Amino acid sequence: MRNISQWFNPESPQEAAQMMRDTKGKGCYLAGGTDLLLENRTDFEFAVDLSATGLNEIARTENGDLFIGSCATLHDLETSPLTHEFADGAIAFAAAGCGNRPVRSTATVGGNLCNALPSADMVPVLLALDAIAFFTDGESQESVPLGEFFVGPRKTVLDGSLLIGLAISGEYANWKVISRKLTRTVEDISLVQVAVGLEIEGDTILRGSVAMGAVAPTPLRATEAEALLIDLPLADAPVAFASVADLAAAVCSPIDDHRATAQYRTEMVEVLTRRLLCEVAGIEDVEKYRGEK
Amino acid sequence: MIIELNLNGKQVAWEISPGDRLLDALRMDQGAVSVKRGCESGDCGSCCVLLNGEPVNTCVVPAIKASGQEITTLEGLAEDELMKKLQSSFLDSGAVQCGYCTPGMLIAIWSRLNTGGTLTEQDVRHALSGNLCRCTGYAKPVEAILKVWEDKS
Repeated sequence: MRNISQWFNPESPQEAAQMMRDTKGKGCYLAGGTDLLLENRTDFEFAVDLSATGLNEIARTENGDLFIGSCATLHDLETSPLTHEFADGAIAFAAAGCGNRPVRSTATVGGNLCNALPSADMVPVLLALDAIAFFTDGESQESVPLGEFFVGPRKTVLDGSLLIGLAISGEYANWKVISRKLTRTVEDISLVQVAVGLEIEGDTILRGSVAMGAVAPTPLRATEAEALLIDLPLADAPVAFASVADLAAAVCSPIDDHRATAQYRTEMVEVLTRRLLCEVAGIEDVEKYRGEK
Repeated sequence: MIIELNLNGKQVAWEISPGDRLLDALRMDQGAVSVKRGCESGDCGSCCVLLNGEPVNTCVVPAIKASGQEITTLEGLAEDELMKKLQSSFLDSGAVQCGYCTPGMLIAIWSRLNTGGTLTEQDVRHALSGNLCRCTGYAKPVEAILKVWEDKS
């Protein structure tokens, strides 16, 4: 931050993206700034402040989709009635678990996503809800499923484009969704995160999703495991959930670091996935079915 | 560059550089010394102030973001009735040892109390979760805050 010599205040997303292009790689977008001020990066000379771009909106569209502007703060997400009434309030719950209250006043969901840490706290729940990311290069607008947004640690598909926001289809509004993260202390970076979602009708699970963070170079979905959740009678759920949890753990490729070992992280994916699925479906823990197919 | 803002109810103009942190601007240029430099990474809450009424950690807020906004530090709440009660209660309960984290804690809990609603011990601990204390610990501050809450309600 210390090398920043010029500060721009664009008034629209398009203007911001055009300014970024003009800085020829020497500019950075600044939403809340909480991550940027931590990093002593010296390669930026220009800051493109997004405060005036009007991207902090949270809204339900006419067809029931939930739209989250990239500059909505984590506190906005934590307190908005719109996030509370959508998918069991899972997005609000995830936001409330990020950092601490003063940080949530300024930190934004777009910043959390674009910084693209494998452990970014907002990602698993949004991934489990099949969020679509919208972005602009200043001229045209594009979108990708959030699952394709991350290409590696600290790398996204954006390449200078500006994340406008996320849209979640209204068909997920009545899903039952839970996310959980394991940390050393409440505010520490996640060791493991899992979010699960189920669409339940009567005695049948119609479909479900399992998303994970901090267990691979990018956040990921357990697609193979999710196939077991399609049209699953609740009576068969105990055995199936145990298999889903095993399959979810099998696709992780975590690292060993000072926070936890890869072995521990993998084991915890199995435990969290199993417990969260049981919690969402309202059944008892199914550990005894581990290993059965 | 020069920015104008409202600091503790007064219009002020600051000369800053685009890369400055709000923390440095407040301490160096404005002498608001209740704003403490702690972790400088947004974790400890010692530098917490109110930006348009919302608590923020000034070590992770660019100074320029204060342009045209309203900032309240502990100095600005010196005459506030609720703040006076909190301060007395902190002293009575022995919730202060070195005092370095105290301004941040007071701002955090003052802001929480002003959002209304009830206050349980868990709520107090949640409200203080962004404030690290390395000597008194948390039992005494929690006790001091709950006393103010009980007297108030």
